[in-house]
Amino acid sequence: MSERCWLALASEAPPTADAAARLRSADGEPAGWLAAWLRASKPVREARRADPRIIDSDGAAAAISLILPDRAALPIFDDPAVQGARRAVLADPEPADLVTTLLIDASHFAGSLTARRGPDALARLRDDPFRHVSAATLLFVDPALLGRVAPPPGPVIERHGSDVPWPGGRFPAL
Amino acid sequence: MSIHAQDTFPDLIALDHAGRSRSLSELAAGDPLVLTTFRGFWCPKEQAFMRRLVAFQDEAEVAYTSVVSLSVDPVEVTAAFRAGLGARWTFLADPEREHLDALDLREHTDTVHHPYRPAVFVLTPDLVVHSAYNGYWYWGRPGLDELRADLREVTRAIRADWNVPA
Repeated sequence: MSERCWLALASEAPPTADAAARLRSADGEPAGWLAAWLRASKPVREARRADPRIIDSDGAAAAISLILPDRAALPIFDDPAVQGARRAVLADPEPADLVTTLLIDASHFAGSLTARRGPDALARLRDDPFRHVSAATLLFVDPALLGRVAPPPGPVIERHGSDVPWPGGRFPAL
Repeated sequence: MSIHAQDTFPDLIALDHAGRSRSLSELAAGDPLVLTTFRGFWCPKEQAFMRRLVAFQDEAEVAYTSVVSLSVDPVEVTAAFRAGLGARWTFLADPEREHLDALDLREHTDTVHHPYRPAVFVLTPDLVVHSAYNGYWYWGRPGLDELRADLREVTRAIRADWNVPA
């Protein structure tokens, strides 16, 4: 797997994407596509980096909470609100199927993606801790894009390097 | 087996507080790991020690240190205990006592609960035991300063840039 994963919303499935799936709104209306690229370089202008472990071409459909703060007003990753959201993710007794923060540089919080499955997925996503940082959009995503990632062990909320989307990554072993 | 410093701790697999199967090596995730075994939610000594660890997590969360706590409590009880404490680390449940004897951590003096004997292990990311504390008597457990000292030594040994690169 590539060292970097990029996500972007698109009106059509980008032909260069490594994976893409249709989105529907919480009301079931078509809402475009969510596309992913696994590569070192940024594939499209609006792409934001995510934890590569979230991509799974065998992944089932899911409900997602997508938070994409305006690029002109991104909080820093060390903002107490962003720290608090990460603590709340770790404290959750029923962890999501996956969670990744999004990055566009080494210092700002550029959003998050949280996925859940099951009958109460949408209801649980309404409590996405990152919604306190910026507005969340609840969507359904088709299969063949998002997998399941084991919850972070806790209690670490720091990134393993400023260019690594939390909670992924680890420091190299000696 | 009896686990001592310099031993490699078994990479045991157990259900976490959410019912997902987890291994110790996965939970270390490349960082130092503080592993505690405890009798159960009902023990006042465990409640007191866990409150200390809850305070400690405010440091561990920024110090690249994982914490795992293992007991014979069922998953649901483990989840409730963890939530009540406000803990943000992983709790593992071994209600079938699959690992108790293999780890030589059965508390033989408790013939009612058949729990884990309280112990604390400070492990390297590859599960080598840096230090082991027998917590049968409460004062056998490490204080937070002892944990800090152990984790300083482990971190110094595993981070190539402990001495700031020029």
